[in-house]
Amino acid sequence: MPERVIVSIGTKKGVFVAQASKTRGSFALRGPFGSGVAVYSTLIDPRGKPTLYASSCNAFFGMKVLKSTDLGKSFKETKSAPTFPKDDGRALANIWSLEAGDGKNDLWCGVEPASLFRSSDGGDSWEMVPGISNHEHSRKWQPGAGGLCMHTILRHGNRVHIGISTGGHYLSEDGGRTFKASNKGVGAGFTPDPYPEFGQCVHKIAGHPDAPGRLYMQNHGGWAEWDGPGGRRPGIGVLRSDDHGRTWRSIAKGLPSDFGFPMVVHPHDPETAYVAPLVPATRTCPDGSPAIWRTENGGDSWKRLAKGLPKKDSYFTILRDAMDVDYLKSPALYLGTTTGQLWIGRDGGEKWDCLFDSLPPINCVKVAVV
Amino acid sequence: MSITVYVPPPLRVYCGRASEISLSASTVRAALEELERSHPSLYINICDETGKVRRHVNLFVNTSHVRDRDGLDTALAPGDVLTILPAVSGG
Repeated sequence: MPERVIVSIGTKKGVFVAQASKTRGSFALRGPFGSGVAVYSTLIDPRGKPTLYASSCNAFFGMKVLKSTDLGKSFKETKSAPTFPKDDGRALANIWSLEAGDGKNDLWCGVEPASLFRSSDGGDSWEMVPGISNHEHSRKWQPGAGGLCMHTILRHGNRVHIGISTGGHYLSEDGGRTFKASNKGVGAGFTPDPYPEFGQCVHKIAGHPDAPGRLYMQNHGGWAEWDGPGGRRPGIGVLRSDDHGRTWRSIAKGLPSDFGFPMVVHPHDPETAYVAPLVPATRTCPDGSPAIWRTENGGDSWKRLAKGLPKKDSYFTILRDAMDVDYLKSPALYLGTTTGQLWIGRDGGEKWDCLFDSLPPINCVKVAVV
Repeated sequence: MSITVYVPPPLRVYCGRASEISLSASTVRAALEELERSHPSLYINICDETGKVRRHVNLFVNTSHVRDRDGLDTALAPGDVLTILPAVSGG
């Protein structure tokens, strides 16, 4: 069977699946599945028989996890979704992240209110991870505009990085048993203390498996003009760590805005990363002219990539999980907008084409070659 | 005492496609507790894990919304129909 490019697209009205050959010439669209229900997270697990997962966040009847073993031709609910213990007092409000674990059927799942669950049977049963879900800080975390969400789960060996909005970055070095807040250098704009121990509004954290010490973070920026207590906080929105997330420093210089949501790392080069700067007040493209910005030197400088994207009158938002990159030899970026467009950025974002222009508002995009 | 629970179409997949379930309960709360025992996958669609009725789910006893009576303590009489309905909302 020739390899195919599979793109899962979580929208306000269900999940779609787009498929193309490795040339990525044209994409066929399937869906919506779980139609009418918002999907905030998907996972394409390429190991063995490829499996797609999607969270289905039903405002009426609660959260479900959908699963497909036929490359997104059909989806079925797993036997259960994560649930808090009955005496916990918290109730599941959303599912924000799904990641593959070590074993073929192992899954990690970040939810709202910010907590972590694991499954060892492909999503049929779930167990809460107490080290972060019941962390001594957990009842002090506050919801951001999107809710109190655990949106990032990054794993490398025994290291687990968790991103919470608003809670900050938490690091485990014992496989997820215990976690410590690890936010040295990560600023916050909405507290009098510009650098609190925790409580930052981290939007996304990204890394590369070949360089686990190097991490990139899109934090909640846009505080350069703040004149309240604590003073101005320029450049706190785009950060880099070279010590496994223990300390962070700004790499925002050269960007039109340090506010944005997604952060993606090139699959073959840990020095290359992508952000989607937005106007902080409106969370839309600067000057109505969308662009992705790329660094090829770990954030020392940035280049604007906009060839093929609208030159004016475009005011969409790109949400935290709405950008991904495939890992073909010349990788392509995939970008979903809140106006329902799915864009492909060929040659690492050098040339953009709109694949689908009238989908429901897009929450998340994932791509895999299977 | 036997009452009937009316199950809306989107939730019938969780109770063997049944549109109605007969059970014995003297209050709405007792009916939900019975559903939790007999149909746990249906129940989790109606109440969250704290036991609270989900925000966008409405419960009616015959034609009365339970919020206009005694909430979950609303008494049930033999032959009553407890209707589960998703709230109407747009977007």
